[in-house]
Amino acid sequence: MVDFARVQKELQECSRDMEASGIRVSPKSDNLAGLTGTIPGPIGTPYEGGSFEIDITLPDGYPFEPPRMKFVTKVWHPNISSQSGAICLDILKDQWSPALTLKTALVSIQALLSAPEPDDPQDAVVAQQYLRDYQTFVGTARYWTESFAKASSLGVEEKVQRLVEMGFAESLVRSTLEAVGGDENLALERLCSS
Amino acid sequence: MQNQEGPVADGEKESSESLQALPPNEFEIEDWANFVDDDVMQQQSAIHAEEAKKVPFVGDKEPLSMLAAGYESGSPILLEKIKVLGQQYAAIRRTRGDGNCFFRSFMFSYLEHILESQDQAEVDRIKGNIEECRKMLQTLGYADFTFEDFFVLFLEQLESVIPGNETSISHDELIIQSQDQSVSDYVVMFFRFVTSAEIQKRAEFFEPFVLGLTNASVEQFCKSSVEPMGEESDHVHITALSDALGVPIRVVYLDRSSCDSGTGSVSVNHHDFIPTSVANPGAKGDTTEAIKPFIMLLYRPGHYDILYPK
Repeated sequence: MVDFARVQKELQECSRDMEASGIRVSPKSDNLAGLTGTIPGPIGTPYEGGSFEIDITLPDGYPFEPPRMKFVTKVWHPNISSQSGAICLDILKDQWSPALTLKTALVSIQALLSAPEPDDPQDAVVAQQYLRDYQTFVGTARYWTESFAKASSLGVEEKVQRLVEMGFAESLVRSTLEAVGGDENLALERLCSS
Repeated sequence: MQNQEGPVADGEKESSESLQALPPNEFEIEDWANFVDDDVMQQQSAIHAEEAKKVPFVGDKEPLSMLAAGYESGSPILLEKIKVLGQQYAAIRRTRGDGNCFFRSFMFSYLEHILESQDQAEVDRIKGNIEECRKMLQTLGYADFTFEDFFVLFLEQLESVIPGNETSISHDELIIQSQDQSVSDYVVMFFRFVTSAEIQKRAEFFEPFVLGLTNASVEQFCKSSVEPMGEESDHVHITALSDALGVPIRVVYLDRSSCDSGTGSVSVNHHDFIPTSVANPGAKGDTTEAIKPFIMLLYRPGHYDILYPK
């Protein structure tokens, strides 16, 4: 049985310093066993500016057993599966302890975004790229952040479609949208004035 | 203990090696990578479940001869040592070998001692130490809700072994409670918090010992080798718990080493962990030799059980 009284306290604690940490945890429904976490991409990394959603499931043995966490937002990182969002992090496995919390786990995931460990990969393809062609890795990771982890990137295809229907070339629409951070109105202004 | 953990560790190692050996464009490894993590967790819990059937968290008291029976076809040194052990000790109580055996042994042994001695002064004393640990954890920055439940549960256990309370329990009930996972695991976690707080409080003192065991900092050591359930205890853990709670602990070592004293007969080593607060009582002027631990544990490589003196 999940210790729901504790989960309640964790949620309160987390919402108290949400402003400072930027880390959010909220229940999916009345049942506290399913939650959603959100972490901001660390500054100075290819994930900067992104907001990453993490699916959290609490096993019956919580807090003795680790919470199950995986990325919902697609992310390009050696220790996170680019396909399934599975995370390779010791504290989510055998190094978990009841002394840790959902918040400290999310902080650790945020730290993992800052400091990938390509020698202990979850996604071998990304890890190979990280080790062999770091610049391309950074480019891809940044592109994925732009495409999947920004609020403005939601519905990007619809924006592209609308602007293309107005008669602009698709490649130009895409590059303009990217340049203005996905703001459809700004992109239209720029396209019209060019 | 080590045998049980072996296959899990090996499995992990093998899988990460083969993962790296794969060609970069093999997308199937995604599933495989996930399978490995789940597989390791499942394997681990399966082992735990299997172990649980064999030995309860705390077993029944057995005469020392039962210990010898397990070695009959084994090492003659061990049989010889068990004979020597029999001169001072009468019985053994086994605990489950799941990496928490030191803490479970300590828990049962301590509560049983209070139940039998009815030492109210000792209960009052340890409560003071527990309060200090609570403050230390707060100072170290632990959120109250992470440790509070574990402290409350241990204090309840402590109250229950003092008679005259509404919640008082018998010896049989103590055994039943100690075999209940929701009690035993909580108390283990309480001890892990107390141990971790003491090590971090006296980081400078513990640092060289920690460096002798791992390459980690004191804080990392606490996070990775003290606080997670199932992490085995070493002399660092025992020293810290004994110091923090002010409870002396004797560990008797039963291994194959033949430490003969020159006379050709074997002897059995033991070490008494005497808390700093007891060993240096200040003005009182007591001597260390006078202190005899009431908690006695038998250590065989990788595992602790409870020992009973004659």
